[in-house]
Amino acid sequence: MLPIKSISLVLFTCLVGVGASHAAPSADAILVASDGIRNPGRPFSVTVTLTEYQKGKQVDATTLTSYSRTQPNGQFASIVRFVLPTRDAGKLMLKNGNDMWFYDPTNKASVRLSPQQRLLGQASNGDVATVNLAKDYKPTLVAEEEVLDGERNKRNAYKLALTAVSPDVTYASIEMWVDAQNNRPIKMRFFAESQRLLKTVYYRKYLPQLGAERPTESVIIDGLDPQSVTLMRFSDYVARAIPETWMQRDFLPRFQPE
Amino acid sequence: MNTYTHAVICGCLYSLSLCVTPVLAANDELDALSLESAPEVKPAAPTSLKWLAEGAWGNASQRYLPDSRNIGRASIDFSYASRLAPGWRAVVSDRLDYFEPALASTDATVNSLREAYLSWQPDGGNSIFELGRINLRYGPSYGYNPTDFFRDGSLRVLTTADPFALRENRLGTVMLRGQYMWSDSAVSVALAPKLADAASANGWNLDLGATNNRDRAVLMLSTQFSKNVSGQTLLYKQAVQSTAIGFNMAALLSDAATAHLEFSRSSEPSLIDRTLGATNATPTRNRFSGGVTYTTVGKLSVTAEYQYNGFALSQADWSALGGAPATQLAYLSEALRLQELAARQSYLIYVTQKSLGHKDLDLTAYLRLNPGDDSKLFWLELRRHWPNFDLSFQLQQNIGNANSEFGLLPDRRVVQVLGTYYH
Repeated sequence: MLPIKSISLVLFTCLVGVGASHAAPSADAILVASDGIRNPGRPFSVTVTLTEYQKGKQVDATTLTSYSRTQPNGQFASIVRFVLPTRDAGKLMLKNGNDMWFYDPTNKASVRLSPQQRLLGQASNGDVATVNLAKDYKPTLVAEEEVLDGERNKRNAYKLALTAVSPDVTYASIEMWVDAQNNRPIKMRFFAESQRLLKTVYYRKYLPQLGAERPTESVIIDGLDPQSVTLMRFSDYVARAIPETWMQRDFLPRFQPE
Repeated sequence: MNTYTHAVICGCLYSLSLCVTPVLAANDELDALSLESAPEVKPAAPTSLKWLAEGAWGNASQRYLPDSRNIGRASIDFSYASRLAPGWRAVVSDRLDYFEPALASTDATVNSLREAYLSWQPDGGNSIFELGRINLRYGPSYGYNPTDFFRDGSLRVLTTADPFALRENRLGTVMLRGQYMWSDSAVSVALAPKLADAASANGWNLDLGATNNRDRAVLMLSTQFSKNVSGQTLLYKQAVQSTAIGFNMAALLSDAATAHLEFSRSSEPSLIDRTLGATNATPTRNRFSGGVTYTTVGKLSVTAEYQYNGFALSQADWSALGGAPATQLAYLSEALRLQELAARQSYLIYVTQKSLGHKDLDLTAYLRLNPGDDSKLFWLELRRHWPNFDLSFQLQQNIGNANSEFGLLPDRRVVQVLGTYYH
């Protein structure tokens, strides 16, 4: 009987072990890991190329450089410098939570922005700034399902439902699909308080950047008009010393990119 | 069609739409995923030269003359910033304008050296020191900035009536400036010495007399009061006058609305006394401007602003000058030179609509109303963008009776077409 008992015990242990290894991690852990893949964990700059399409035809292209760092509250703050088109070169946007400013060096004017004011065609100002979702949203794991990724391949993914816990955020709720194998963000759907779909975003073209495989392109599809699409390409990630003091309105006139 | 049949057909159509919509959406997403980004453009190196060339042609209908007059302008505008060494930067910004016909009291060709300064930002980036001609501008308001203490005399030529674009021609003041920043606040001091006595009409003069005709200093403390509210407190001192105080604030009201205000209090000659050269009396009065900006999802931004200048003439005093239109015109000219509000009170509605019917067409318009005499200034611009070129149409209409602030101005209507090439 002893061998049978032992075999049973081994089998039970294996089954429990297998079950434990397959158990989904917590929604919080998935979201934090996914944030860590989208955003480097140290101050950095990145070149952002926005390409706008209407009905499949390119209608605009903009190049920016974004300088980001984590603030003491755990959220990112960014200064975005316009590079192209030429008429906008040198203009700056600061996003530090909801403290958003636009600075034009030609007339020295600093203008306070509301989240609804867009400087970048169809993309919102927040799209080009880095955001730690785990700071502002409470995630719930709602399903494990197959989803099409940005390269049009099927992936097994965790579906998270994110609800805003901070009143200052632009989106009331978010649906998010994260690769079950490696926590890479695959796709997000952003909703207004009225539950209206504002946009769908795919994350794709994962490449090694600043110590991890990160998405180097996102595809933003307008919620109202799916024929309106903005591609955002992220390139030239560089780790930089960006002091916390840069992330305020008074620094904008003195900003000098290195 | 009876009600029942109608209901059945509508029900079927609704059911069909429920089935078809997700399929369409999925197809749209697949189409979107087949798109490719534009070729990458490397950002410009830190050493950067930026310039533009602009030509304007237009016509102004006259209030006091039967014939209209043609107006023209050619401008070259450049700015250059160079990193000299780690932490060191040199900045030069200049503009050359040629007017046809020449503006009153200046040459036809006017060169404006707007900025020329050295900047030093020691390691750590928390402090900055600057020396040279610096364009230092305070205040979040759109049409009147009581806390912008270095504004007077800084506009050498007027090329537009747009209060935002107007500041692009502004001359900096020669000063030594230091700033120290904490994570959510900053303090700065600027010292501007007297370098000349009076402004120059010579178009090639540096015109230090316009910006540095007395010793001046300003101390500014900037504070982030909360996540949504920030402000600046200023103390300003100039030779002979007592210290002026100023305060400005900007706040986020909602996802779509922001608010701003500016206030200053000082003891100085009134605007009419300045015009008449009688500057002995220095009453203590206030200046104020405050407004709200609302932006719609459709990229329409509307700003409503109230403006008050305690040093300006009251409506009764302005009317009393009605028998001396030359004095009234001199008063308005002095207000423009000082970038002051000529009326005791004024309202401004400022509107921008991006992508007006076409992705690359923008509309900017404003209406300035003097409630005392009901005169108005209306200005509108339609601007079409191409990658390196803008084509604009501008209309300015000065509306009011002959004794009013805007009705008194010599130009009744100004129409202009502008072409701007950006490099």
